[in-house]
Amino acid sequence: MSATSARPSHAAQPSGGAFILKKALISALVALVLFSLMIGVRTEAGPQGGLIYWTRFGDLAALVATVFGGSIIVELLRQWWGPIDKDSLVPKPVQSAMSFAGRWLAPALLVFAFLVPVIFYDQRYILDLSILVLTYVMLGWGLNVVVGLAGLLDLGYVAFYAVGAYSYALLATNFGLSFWVCLPLAGILAAFWGVLLGFPVLRLRGDYLAIVTLAFGEIIRLVIINWQSLTGGPNGVSGIPRPTMFGIPLDNSDSGLAARLGIEFSPTHRLVFLFYLILAMALLTNWVTIRLRRLPIGRAWEALREDEVACRALGINTTTTKLTAFATGAMFGGFAGAFFATRQGFISPESFTFQESALVLAIVVLGGMGSQLGVALAALTMIGGFELFRGLDQYRMLVFGIAMVLLMIWRPRGLIGHRAPTVFLERNQAISSDLVKEGHG
Amino acid sequence: MSAAQATTPLLAVRGVRAAYGKIEALKGVDVEINAGEIVALIGANGAGKSTLMMTIFGRPRARAGTIEYDGHDITGVPTHEIARLRIAQSPEGRRIFPRMSVAENLQMGADATECTEAEREAGLDRVFALFPRLKERVAQRGGTLSGGEQQMLAIGRALMSRPRLLMLDEPSLGLAPLIARQIFDAIRTLNRQDGLTVLIVEQNANHALKLAHRGYVMVNGLITLAGTGAELLQRPEIRAAYLEGGRRG
Repeated sequence: MSATSARPSHAAQPSGGAFILKKALISALVALVLFSLMIGVRTEAGPQGGLIYWTRFGDLAALVATVFGGSIIVELLRQWWGPIDKDSLVPKPVQSAMSFAGRWLAPALLVFAFLVPVIFYDQRYILDLSILVLTYVMLGWGLNVVVGLAGLLDLGYVAFYAVGAYSYALLATNFGLSFWVCLPLAGILAAFWGVLLGFPVLRLRGDYLAIVTLAFGEIIRLVIINWQSLTGGPNGVSGIPRPTMFGIPLDNSDSGLAARLGIEFSPTHRLVFLFYLILAMALLTNWVTIRLRRLPIGRAWEALREDEVACRALGINTTTTKLTAFATGAMFGGFAGAFFATRQGFISPESFTFQESALVLAIVVLGGMGSQLGVALAALTMIGGFELFRGLDQYRMLVFGIAMVLLMIWRPRGLIGHRAPTVFLERNQAISSDLVKEGHG
Repeated sequence: MSAAQATTPLLAVRGVRAAYGKIEALKGVDVEINAGEIVALIGANGAGKSTLMMTIFGRPRARAGTIEYDGHDITGVPTHEIARLRIAQSPEGRRIFPRMSVAENLQMGADATECTEAEREAGLDRVFALFPRLKERVAQRGGTLSGGEQQMLAIGRALMSRPRLLMLDEPSLGLAPLIARQIFDAIRTLNRQDGLTVLIVEQNANHALKLAHRGYVMVNGLITLAGTGAELLQRPEIRAAYLEGGRRG
């Protein structure tokens, strides 16, 4: 992130006070025209049904002044950051510092993640929050397979999360199956629904695909609400069993873990167990994804994202490629759903609204499509940030909206937009791809 | 240089019709390609040249007629299986994978056919010998290459599947004449050294017919003329339609 600040300013870009002032004036003028009716005049139905109105020129003036000032600040910032649409060369020391940080950031984060329950053992709130963040990291990594790698825009990812959660909840409450039996079942069921969604949308891409997946997410939610006899409808499913540590319950009974180890029981034990469980599941997701990327199927996903026609010309079976992407992504969503159910002990359709899909998608896009580390960072920022700004209350969404817009302006490919190649030849490395601009000659 | 008529051709297209919806793009096309030949398919925009190439690849499917490859009927074979029969195509407009590196683009070509590590290495050596520029840029993203390099990459990618028949759709499209000549030279080298059979679809009739052993001229979904490259170049109607066409407005 810090690399951009050290860029040399570009000579070709017009700068200077007159230019900035002119731009700010134009912006202010546009704001004046826009807001004069929206803000300047307030209309309301009067007591007799007639229209009454009054003017608010003070507010209007304040807004226009804000736009004027803001425009100057944005322009100054822009010149300080350097041109955003050009990949300018990064100075050597910054570059090496960046690559150093890049190499050590992921291992450092991983070590920190393992130590979280040790450091924050007494702080239940932080443990709870970390579990939540890791759940979203896992969901983000799962969706990353579909959106980031295969390039299939999926707005209904929460459906698979719901399928996983309800699979575990219903199997456990009705048949008494344990978490460890249900976990793979939840994954398989979610993958099955992923394939089921995949078939009708095979021919669709882009916007059309997004709409169908959005509808699919809603269908699953509506079925859950209305199929009362099975799912309990809006009341949800309660009394979902807690996970056991391979058969040993984590409670204060005589057969519980604490009693067996001869230590005093504490509810934190379960929290720590849940933390390591979701950490292991998320890391499994990550490992599988990294492995798959290096196999022909993973390369085929990425190639599919780049150019479907070329894929067909190369003899890639696009049908199975798309379906495996949907199934793989859905399976991880199902795992995460089963974890969610066992953690909460209670699930209802309210947990699986479109907002969840949007949040996970935002994590993937902000993180940088296809980048595993980026997705993890984005989940940490989004979910952690939501909690940090809880004090700001109703301004929270505003702050996040602005932060997202700014991020997309300065880093349009997400936090980590760089894509690591998966094929290496030992006799190469003439020019790094980072230093070369895209050409269309 | 005309191949013996007695031997069965590597690819035989017989009476093929294909359509997009109700618009018939191929109205009964017969084309034969013998092993070791370069065959050029020339014609104006919308004549159906690219459609023929794609129909051989099974998309769109032929509505009538048969396509035989190496003695087998491949008319109904799914597209991805046709590629495994070692027919490779370099589609119109190059269509390399822009965010993937040159090495990955080449690997994508090898992925289609199950090949051993040694075969993959041999394939890479062959591509790099043909286009040394690609070797210099092997770690670069495909999208950062120039147009000519992208065309080299598209051909290289197709070669990685070790094809017996290589189909090229407008390899000189949008390239400077010098670069186009390099591409054509590379195709000639491939044909002479490895005996690779090539079907080349081109608008650049002059270049294509000089390169090819035989040529077909396509107009409105039908083959109107066929002959050796040199013969076709001499035909007054070819000269008028494709070589001096610009002058008549």
